[in-house]
Amino acid sequence: MRLILIAWSRYVRSPALRSFAPFIPLILLWAIVAESGMFPRAFFPGPAEVVNSFGSLVYKGILPEYLEDSVVRLALGAAAGLALGIPLGVLVGLSSRAHAMLWPVLLFFQAIGDIAWLPILLIWFGFGLTTVTFVIVYTVLFPVVLNTVLGVRSVPIVMHRAAQSLGASRLRIVWEVVLPGALPNIITGVRNGLGYGWRALIAAEMIVGTSGIGFLMFDARRAGSVVEILLGMIVLGLLWYVVDDWALVPIERATVQRWGLVTR
Amino acid sequence: MKNLTLRHLSKTYFDPYAGAHVTAVQDVSLEVKQGEFVSIVGRSGCGKTTLLNMIAGFIPVTGGEILLDGRAIDGPGPDRGVVFQSFALFPWKTVLQNVAFGPRMRGLPDAECERIAREYLALVGLAEVAGRYPAELSGGMQQRVGVVRALANDPDVLLMDEPFASVDAQTRMTLQEELTRIWLERRPTIVFVTHDVEEAVFLANRVVVLSKGRVLKELDVPLARPRTWDRLIENTQFKALSAEVLQRVRAE
Repeated sequence: MRLILIAWSRYVRSPALRSFAPFIPLILLWAIVAESGMFPRAFFPGPAEVVNSFGSLVYKGILPEYLEDSVVRLALGAAAGLALGIPLGVLVGLSSRAHAMLWPVLLFFQAIGDIAWLPILLIWFGFGLTTVTFVIVYTVLFPVVLNTVLGVRSVPIVMHRAAQSLGASRLRIVWEVVLPGALPNIITGVRNGLGYGWRALIAAEMIVGTSGIGFLMFDARRAGSVVEILLGMIVLGLLWYVVDDWALVPIERATVQRWGLVTR
Repeated sequence: MKNLTLRHLSKTYFDPYAGAHVTAVQDVSLEVKQGEFVSIVGRSGCGKTTLLNMIAGFIPVTGGEILLDGRAIDGPGPDRGVVFQSFALFPWKTVLQNVAFGPRMRGLPDAECERIAREYLALVGLAEVAGRYPAELSGGMQQRVGVVRALANDPDVLLMDEPFASVDAQTRMTLQEELTRIWLERRPTIVFVTHDVEEAVFLANRVVVLSKGRVLKELDVPLARPRTWDRLIENTQFKALSAEVLQRVRAE
């Protein structure tokens, strides 16, 4: 056992493999169970079939197109959610009057989950992009607002005082002190928001969609294609990993970690 | 002359835990002349930080008035630079950007802001670390940045709230010597709050002893400058002054 662990740690040290390595045992186990014939192949296909299906869906152009649809929807929804959420969070975080007025409302609507809006949205807007966009914006908005408020309120009062006694106006203080000071929490909010938004999008696409990864998976269910459902699930996980590791982590490293606001 | 005048200043506030009004500062009158270095010394809870926060405009006064250059102060402003015990540097700005912040807020052109910031950093020997972030510096270096950030804005009076209380003893002595050197070179008006009696005497032209929110005693410090710890540590006049101030501080 010790030997295996030593070999494993050596093997994992290669940076190219570090992210992929933890999945190898999982894939092996999956392959073994599939090969063993424990379950009928159509219900429980192995990794090879999924890779094949990936190849053919990419070849036919369906997967790239659906993936693009989902990612663009998420990006637009998230951008709108951030554009609304960060200013709203700053306002609620800075003004006690805005806090008193808006905080209960925010908590109330936060509790009504994204999917809980679908029935009424379908009546109002029908099966279309408006409904999907509404759900994503809604889902992204709350974690961003709530975390921004938290971040704004966590900026120490001496920071405000220092800026004031150096002659900064209120607007400059918001821009140069409050926003960067709140950034660790804002990034947490964005991470949570994007994560929830991604899930909400897939759910919405399953119910509303005419394209996208969620639609691909639900459509595969109708056709009884377990391979494509599994493929959809894997794509979801991979895509999230890419967003986090390629976009959010580098931003954190260049800002809040560099500034010593969070320690690693 | 841009003098700082406190007239019958007082501050009472409601303490929700005690359920009563508390008087932090009571009928304090004080005149700080332009170019003077005044220390306010007292034990914790004597109202010295409250006093400084009122002069800075961070908290409202409940009685009396504060005049700077003959005009009543109204909230915080760049005419009163503040150096904080916790440094209060902006962690997301480099050392240079921190020091250039005040001049930038005054609307000076970027090149001029940078020139001023570099000049002041050189004054405390920190030209080398201009591009670093505060978190990458030692406590002593951070507070040097804190001091020159306030000075770079060319305030009429520099308010310092126990600025050296959170650095180690050796660094503190170096910082105190540096501050007296800077004061000699540039003659800023300084109000320096501390609980450390020797620090108060070492730095100032005049020491104000504060107790229970009132001025207990004002003492002139006629010690020659430049002052260094090597010279003053065994100086009988310094020791006698320190002993006298300590006695006042300890008297309730």
